[in-house]
Amino acid sequence: MASADKLINTDVPEKDVFALHFLRSLSNLRTQNPLNSPDKSIDRVRKIKKAAYVSMARAAGGNSRLWSRALLRRAAKDDNKSVRFSRRKRKISSKRRRSNQRAPVVEEAAERLRNLVPGGGGMETSKLMEETAHYIKCLSMQVKVMQCLVDGLSQK
Amino acid sequence: MDNELFMNTEFPPPPEMATHFEPPPSSSSAMMLNWALMDPNPPQDSSFIWEKSTEQQQQQSIFDSALSSLVSSPTPSNSNFSGGGGDGFLIRELIGKLGNIGNNNNNSGEIYGTPMSRSASCYATPMSSPPPPTNTNSQMMMNRTTPLTEFSADPGFAERASRFSCFGSRSFNGRTNTNLPINNGNNIVNNSGKLTRVSSTPALKALVSPEVAPGGEFPRKRKSVPKGKSKENPISTASPSPSFSKTAEKKEEWGGKGSKSSEEKGGKRRREDEDEEEGEGEGNNNTKPPEPPKDYIHVRARRGQATDSHSLAERVRREKIGERMKLLQDLVPGCNKVTGKALMLDEIINYVQSLQRQVEFLSMKLSSVNDTRLDFNVDALVSKDVMIPSSNNRLHEEGLQSKSSSRHHQQQQLNMYNSNNAQLLPNISSNNMMLQSPMNSLEASTLARSFTHLPTLTQFTDSISQYQMFSEEDLQSIVGMGVALNPNNESQHMKIEL
Repeated sequence: MASADKLINTDVPEKDVFALHFLRSLSNLRTQNPLNSPDKSIDRVRKIKKAAYVSMARAAGGNSRLWSRALLRRAAKDDNKSVRFSRRKRKISSKRRRSNQRAPVVEEAAERLRNLVPGGGGMETSKLMEETAHYIKCLSMQVKVMQCLVDGLSQK
Repeated sequence: MDNELFMNTEFPPPPEMATHFEPPPSSSSAMMLNWALMDPNPPQDSSFIWEKSTEQQQQQSIFDSALSSLVSSPTPSNSNFSGGGGDGFLIRELIGKLGNIGNNNNNSGEIYGTPMSRSASCYATPMSSPPPPTNTNSQMMMNRTTPLTEFSADPGFAERASRFSCFGSRSFNGRTNTNLPINNGNNIVNNSGKLTRVSSTPALKALVSPEVAPGGEFPRKRKSVPKGKSKENPISTASPSPSFSKTAEKKEEWGGKGSKSSEEKGGKRRREDEDEEEGEGEGNNNTKPPEPPKDYIHVRARRGQATDSHSLAERVRREKIGERMKLLQDLVPGCNKVTGKALMLDEIINYVQSLQRQVEFLSMKLSSVNDTRLDFNVDALVSKDVMIPSSNNRLHEEGLQSKSSSRHHQQQQLNMYNSNNAQLLPNISSNNMMLQSPMNSLEASTLARSFTHLPTLTQFTDSISQYQMFSEEDLQSIVGMGVALNPNNESQHMKIEL
C-alpha cells in the first residue's frame, strides 16, 4: 500500500509488518500476564490498545516519523521507561506563533488535528498535514490487521 | 534653476504630452514665457533659450514672431512628435531654432536634454533634478532613481546629445535604443543572481523618467496604459506607464525576456509596490506571467500580487498546505465531494477520530477474545520473527533462527507455502495443504508452520481481497494449532477442528 508521491513521501509498510509487530506485542502482553486476566477488563483493553499503537508506530518506521516518535515517547513515558532517541533538529515552533496572518480557518482546524495526531504540537501546519497523511495510512493499516485478527479469532 | 525651468515646463501639458513641446503654440509660448517669468533665478548658462527669455520680456514679441514664422512654414522635422499633432512640431521647431542660437548640440527633444549640453555635469544635474519636479511621481521613483539615474544618465545623455543637431526624428528612437541597452547592462549587473531584488526597476525607472519627457514618441503605449496609478499625478501616470510598457516590451525584444520581464514583474520583495505592480503588470501585458519557482531561496512574486517578503512566504506556505490537502483528500474516503479547506479539514479530523475509535473498539474486542482464544505459543511467536512478511525476508531470516533442526522443515514448508501463495487455491484445499504438512512434522516445525501462516495470511489479504475469508479461516486453523500443546495429538485435532 505504498503511495507514490514524489514530493511528499507517505509510504507505509505492508500489512504484514503491522501484523507482525502487533502479534509480537500481543504475545508480549500474554507473557507479561501469564494468568489469564487477573486484571480488570479495562486495563486489559488499555494495554492492548497501547500495544496496538506502539506496534503500529514501530511498524510504521520507528523514529523516522514525527508522530511515531512522539507516540513511542509518550508510551515510554507512561511506562517510565527511558527513551533513547537520536538527535533531530528542532523546528522553531515560535515561527508558528509569530504570524497572525495565517488563515484562521485553517489554523483552528489544524489545532484540532494537532490534538489528534501524536506529536502534532510542535509542527507547522504543512508538516502537520504530511504527518497526518502518513498517520492515517498507518492507522487504517492497523485497523485492518486488528479486524482480521478479531474476525479470525472470533469465528472459531 | 534652469533645469527647474525645464522641469516645470513638463507639468502644464500633462495629459497630452509629457513634453512641453506639444501644447498648442500660443499657449505654449505663453506658458514658456510665463515659466520664464516665474523663474526667479537669473540664468547662468547663456546657452539656454529660456535664459534669454527670462532675461527679457521684450523677447516675447520675438517669440511670437518666430512662432508665426514657424507656423507659416511648418517643417516636419520631427515625425516622432506625432502625438501632439502639427502643433507639437511647430513648437519643437521653434525651440529648436531658438536653442540653436545659443546651443549647438543639444536640441534634444527632452526637457532634460537641453541643459546638459555643456558638460557631463550638466547631464548629471538634470537627471538628479527630475525627482524633485516629478514629485508627483511616486516617491519610490525618487528614492530609487536618484542613485541610478546619474549612473545611467551620463552615457545615455551623452549619446543622446551627440545625436541632436536639431530636433531630429531619430533622436527619440536613438535615445531609447541607446538607453535600453544601457539599462540592459545595468539590469543584468544588478540582477545577476538576485531574482527577488528590485534593482532592475530603479534602473528601469531611471531610464523611464528621462524618456518620459519626450514620451510623445509612444503615443500608442500611452493610450494603452490609461489606468495609471491612483496615487500619482496624472502626468506622472502618463509618463512612467508608457515607458514601463515600452521599456518592458523592448527589453523583451532583446532576449532578456525571461529574466528581465519576470524580474520587472516579479522580482520585488520590498517595494511600495502596488503602483509598481500595476505598472509592471500593465507593461507586461504581452508576456506570460512566470510561474514562481518554489524553493526556499528564490520565490518570485506572481503577477498582480503583493510582493513583500512576508506575503510571499505566506503564499508559498498556503500553496504547500493546499498541496498537502490534496494529498489528504485522496486518502480520506468521501472527501472528493467536499470542497474548501475548512470542510475538508473537518472531514479529515472526523476520519482520524473514527480510525482511532475503531482501534479502541477493536482492541476491546480483542481483549475479550484474547482470553479465550489467543493463546499463542511464545516459541511460535518468537520463531515468527524469522518470518518477516516478504518471502525474501523470510528466507533470509531463517538463517537467523536458533533451531537448526527446524530450519529444513521450515524451508520446505516455506517453499511449499510460497508455491501455495503463488497459486490461487481455493480455501479448503490450501487449508488442507497447510494442515497436512504439520502432521508429518515435528512439533517445532508445526509451530513454525503455524506462523508461516500469519504472514501468508496477511499477504493474501493484501493482494487478494476476496481471500479475506481465507485469511480468517487460516487464522482459525492457526489458533487451533497454536492452542494445542501436543503437536502430534494436535495434528489429529487439527483435522477435526477444521
